[in-house]
Amino acid sequence: MKDIKFSARNVQVYYGTTHAIKDVNVDIADKTVTAFIGPSGCGKSTFLRSLNRMNDTIDICRVEGDILLDGEDIYDKRVDPVQLRAKVGMVFQKPNPFPKSIYDNIAYGPRIHGLAKNKTDLDEIVESSLKRAALWNEVKDRLDAPGTGLSGGQQQRLCIARAVATQPEVLLMDEPCSALDPIATAQVEELIDELRSNFSVVIVTHSMQQAARVSQKTAFFHLGNLVEYGETGQIFTNPVDPRTESYISGRIG
Amino acid sequence: MTDASANNSASGKSSLLVQDARTRKRNAVEARFKWYGITAIAIGCVFLILLVTAITFNGSRAFRQTFVTVPVTLDAAAIEAAEASMMKTSQYRKMIEAALLTEVAEANIETDMDAGKLGDMLSSSAPAQMREFVLANPNRIGDTVSFDFLTSSRVDGYLKGRVTRDSLANDKNLDAAHLDLVDQMRDIGMVVKRFNIDFIIGSDASEERPEQAGMGVSILGSLFMMFVVLLLSLPIGVAASIYLEEFAPKSRWTDLIEVNISNLAAVPSIVFGILGVAVFIQIGHLPKSAPLVGGLVLTLMTLPTIIISTRAALKAVPPSIREAALGVGASKMQSVFHHVLPLAMPGILTGTIIGLAQALGETAPLLLIGMVGFIATNYPTGPIDGFLSPNSAMPAQIYEWAKRADPAYYERAWGGIIILLVFLLAMNVIAVILRRRFERRW
Repeated sequence: MKDIKFSARNVQVYYGTTHAIKDVNVDIADKTVTAFIGPSGCGKSTFLRSLNRMNDTIDICRVEGDILLDGEDIYDKRVDPVQLRAKVGMVFQKPNPFPKSIYDNIAYGPRIHGLAKNKTDLDEIVESSLKRAALWNEVKDRLDAPGTGLSGGQQQRLCIARAVATQPEVLLMDEPCSALDPIATAQVEELIDELRSNFSVVIVTHSMQQAARVSQKTAFFHLGNLVEYGETGQIFTNPVDPRTESYISGRIG
Repeated sequence: MTDASANNSASGKSSLLVQDARTRKRNAVEARFKWYGITAIAIGCVFLILLVTAITFNGSRAFRQTFVTVPVTLDAAAIEAAEASMMKTSQYRKMIEAALLTEVAEANIETDMDAGKLGDMLSSSAPAQMREFVLANPNRIGDTVSFDFLTSSRVDGYLKGRVTRDSLANDKNLDAAHLDLVDQMRDIGMVVKRFNIDFIIGSDASEERPEQAGMGVSILGSLFMMFVVLLLSLPIGVAASIYLEEFAPKSRWTDLIEVNISNLAAVPSIVFGILGVAVFIQIGHLPKSAPLVGGLVLTLMTLPTIIISTRAALKAVPPSIREAALGVGASKMQSVFHHVLPLAMPGILTGTIIGLAQALGETAPLLLIGMVGFIATNYPTGPIDGFLSPNSAMPAQIYEWAKRADPAYYERAWGGIIILLVFLLAMNVIAVILRRRFERRW
């Protein structure tokens, strides 16, 4: 059994009066890919975004319960969300590179967190991040070119490289492949599998095949409830809850 | 039901090669709408062309002025006597008039006018012009110096077609006989109409000397004011918008502030003028008619424009950029200043320059705080004096000229409009250039 990275206890999330996440308890293991699956609007993205407090930017959003990262409550008053987000990186549904050069896209995080002492350090971080995101060979000759000029799949890998560059401990991915074609998706999935050796990866996905391919643990959400959580193989072959069974066999969702 | 029966009535199948009634009607509506649009644009263009033609036609004449060349011998004794007398310029006037009479006689132009009468064709600014030259160049006393004096506005108007012999019948300033002389003097090149730089760089003159009046001092007034406006409204406006758009919690208070800012943009400018008098002059004891006060009043007026356009520009930045920045652990401030603001920059600059252009053309509030046209007679002695000493601004100067009785001033008002429009055009060009420049950053 691997160490537990995130531990959520009785988590409730409200948007105004809407109760979006109901009483979720989950332990997310380190150096593991955990997939959140479930029909649209079931709260899986909401829960993902509460793991690095991205929900703070939404005025009407309220989180109750405890979410512990390495045993520390991330919603404690003393926690600065900025510091938290440096530890818990995020990749979004739509590739969103900064309208800057490829180099600056990667270097931005290390710069603001002071991870590089000098230009050589920074160059190294940029190179290793791009290599990790399997993008180095495609862009090494045009690091000064705008990041927005890359193809969709390249842009998403650039965003992953950008997230990796800040040396986070956890990487949250919100449907990272929904805007990509099958080839780019395959590349990103391969990448996720590699990232597992260094990070805990949490991925929200609509594609059950993807969840089955990349994850070791799967959580099924339905109407704001965490219905079932367990080993991916077990969830897909032998689900305990009838709702999980209905969803993965295509009867609900 | 109706659709089905309509289709079936025409022997079951409809042909694509024949337009049915509905399509024809739809196409006709579309074509009509296109024509409405073209008509609207055409009407707009006609008005624009009319405006531009009227301004160029009427205004361009103000840039040319009639001068008469008179060689005057700077007689040491006469100058000494003039400087010792009470009415110094009237003594100089006599010297010029005598010189003019001699010159006319030498050119073999016959006249029965005496020197004083002949001198009526000169601008009353001529003696001061000569005296200034003498005081500035005392070493030239004793020489004969050729002066280019302004003619009176009547002579100038005659050469521009504004004044005719008939219109002079009831005019005590000039006779038809003068015009005969002017004709002959023009033939030998003694009287010429040429470009007059003093219209652009000179100061305002009294009602009797339209030929001498210029925009220069009020242009400076406008520039000092714009400096104040830019310096205050850009930082205040941008800071306010960033706070409201990015940081402020959505509450009843921020809603109230938003509504009020939008309403402020629609407040008539004269209200800001009254406010300026009450707050800056009566309570704040700032000097009257000063460009500093004008700039403060116009800042109040420009702020809503800048805030509204800046907020629109900030809103237009896709939220994904903000999320991306927050996602890599940037603080709110860093995400705004590193990513959002640079992308919003073109919009902010455009809004600011539109606001400034609006302020540059504003007249009413300036009249209320005393920046009326007729005080723009002295150049500021330095930057501080430029902000604090009484001055006017371009639009107020134009208004002042337009309300003076002399048609020569009416012509200058049109000319002033050309100068104002050139400034506005320049600002718009700057806006376009800046926008292009910042937009190039993808």
